[in-house]
Amino acid sequence: MTSARPIVIETRGLGKIFSIDRAPIIALQDISFTVQEGGFVSLVGPSGCGKSTLLQMLAGLVPSTAGQVLVDGLILREPAPDKISVMFQDATLLPWKRVAENIEFPLEIGGMNAADRRDRAAAMLSLVGLTEFAARYPHELSGGMRQRISIARALAPDPRILLMDEPFGALDEQTRIKMGHELLRIWSRTGKTIFFITHSLTEALFLSDVVLVMSHRPGKIVDVIVAGLPRPRTYDIIGSAEFGAARNRIWKLISQDDDTDASEGMASL
Amino acid sequence: MTRRRIILIVIILGSWEAVCRFNIVVPLLLASPSEIIGALIQSWPEYLVALRFTVAEIAVALAVAWSLGIVTGTAAGMIPFLGAAIGPILVSLFAVPLITWYPLFMVWFGIGMTSKIVYAVVSGFFPIAINTMNGVRGLDHRYFLFGQAIGCSRRQVIFRILLPMAMPSIVSGLRIGTALIVIAVIVAEMLASLGGIGYVISYYRSIYATPHVYLGILFALACALLANWGLGILERRFMHWRELQIGDR
Repeated sequence: MTSARPIVIETRGLGKIFSIDRAPIIALQDISFTVQEGGFVSLVGPSGCGKSTLLQMLAGLVPSTAGQVLVDGLILREPAPDKISVMFQDATLLPWKRVAENIEFPLEIGGMNAADRRDRAAAMLSLVGLTEFAARYPHELSGGMRQRISIARALAPDPRILLMDEPFGALDEQTRIKMGHELLRIWSRTGKTIFFITHSLTEALFLSDVVLVMSHRPGKIVDVIVAGLPRPRTYDIIGSAEFGAARNRIWKLISQDDDTDASEGMASL
Repeated sequence: MTRRRIILIVIILGSWEAVCRFNIVVPLLLASPSEIIGALIQSWPEYLVALRFTVAEIAVALAVAWSLGIVTGTAAGMIPFLGAAIGPILVSLFAVPLITWYPLFMVWFGIGMTSKIVYAVVSGFFPIAINTMNGVRGLDHRYFLFGQAIGCSRRQVIFRILLPMAMPSIVSGLRIGTALIVIAVIVAEMLASLGGIGYVISYYRSIYATPHVYLGILFALACALLANWGLGILERRFMHWRELQIGDR
């Protein structure tokens, strides 16, 4: 962790209050953290704790009710497609477009000309190793391949930040591990700043420099884990003592939170 | 395949003709193929005029019902408040036998083409609007977010992402709506009108000219086939990927 790298994403006292049937629900409260340039930060937490909402706020898709999101020191008020790309759990590829056309789509929206788009899509396909599938339709590909296309599409506009919302959550264990390796390879080659949401503690620790641990209702950052595991990472690291210790620490934080959640549930009954 | 089909058609037409020739069925009930062809030769200009009448009504009704239905359905599907407000109304109005309104439409819009068009639009609108609404509503919210994240304008989100995504559902609405529109126009013409295929059928029935009635039915069938053919072109244009998907399974 070199602290000299500039800060790309910063949140200051970020909060979100929903109102359901006029009853306010505090979804997120006082979320403050920073992400350094080229960093890989994961966010873990129980399901329904507001992880996705937080990511959508970082993308400028959802307004906050308190605090601010700063990207490169500027307050983010709307999506910034030239700087930030978002990836979802489902690949959200457009089924009527071929793979290459899907990768070109954000570029087309961004106003890039056809020739440049084609070159860019070809480069991205080769980056994710799926060049020979350029003319296929998404439904002809496996789930893992679709997610790789989704990564290629997200990287096509050359954003500096990649926000990923449980991108491998729907994949089987084996594919998931492969995708993790693949993502690390792409990350080290492109130097993007990645903010990664997952519910898998192993995945979070394996991939990232920093793991943010979030609690449920209100969604708060309860701990920031810097495991300091060496890179490049291999699968062996998961068996190491440091890895296990860090994993246990996060598990304790999250399961504690589950207990309080259960008692809250009882109280409201 | 085609050869077998031709043989089958020849057999059916042949036995139909035979049944009529040997007076097995009263001529008033069933006209023979040769009589129907005779009727066509005898008065084809009259049918051509009627066909133009009917096709014009169908074409206008289709254009209006498709656009109104898709616009209403999209709005109701996208805006939860609007969907909650008009969704149930659409569904319950679709369940009403709309033919009961036709006498009223005649009083309002006269005996000419307008009343047929209005009645047909009302018949076709509901399934189109309902299917479009359900299609748009059922889309994964993340497609909407994805569109916004890559910098799409609201217009681009609708036309480049949401509507194409909802196309399978919209097209099935169009299928039902189009069939209902063809039926509505011809039924309305049969009830009270100044011209059209339905009018011709109704007129010849009243003077017991059975071959002409059958000929009219064939023309009505032609209208339905024509509408279906147009729909087929549209479907192929927008749905090729869908067919691939189904063929794949």
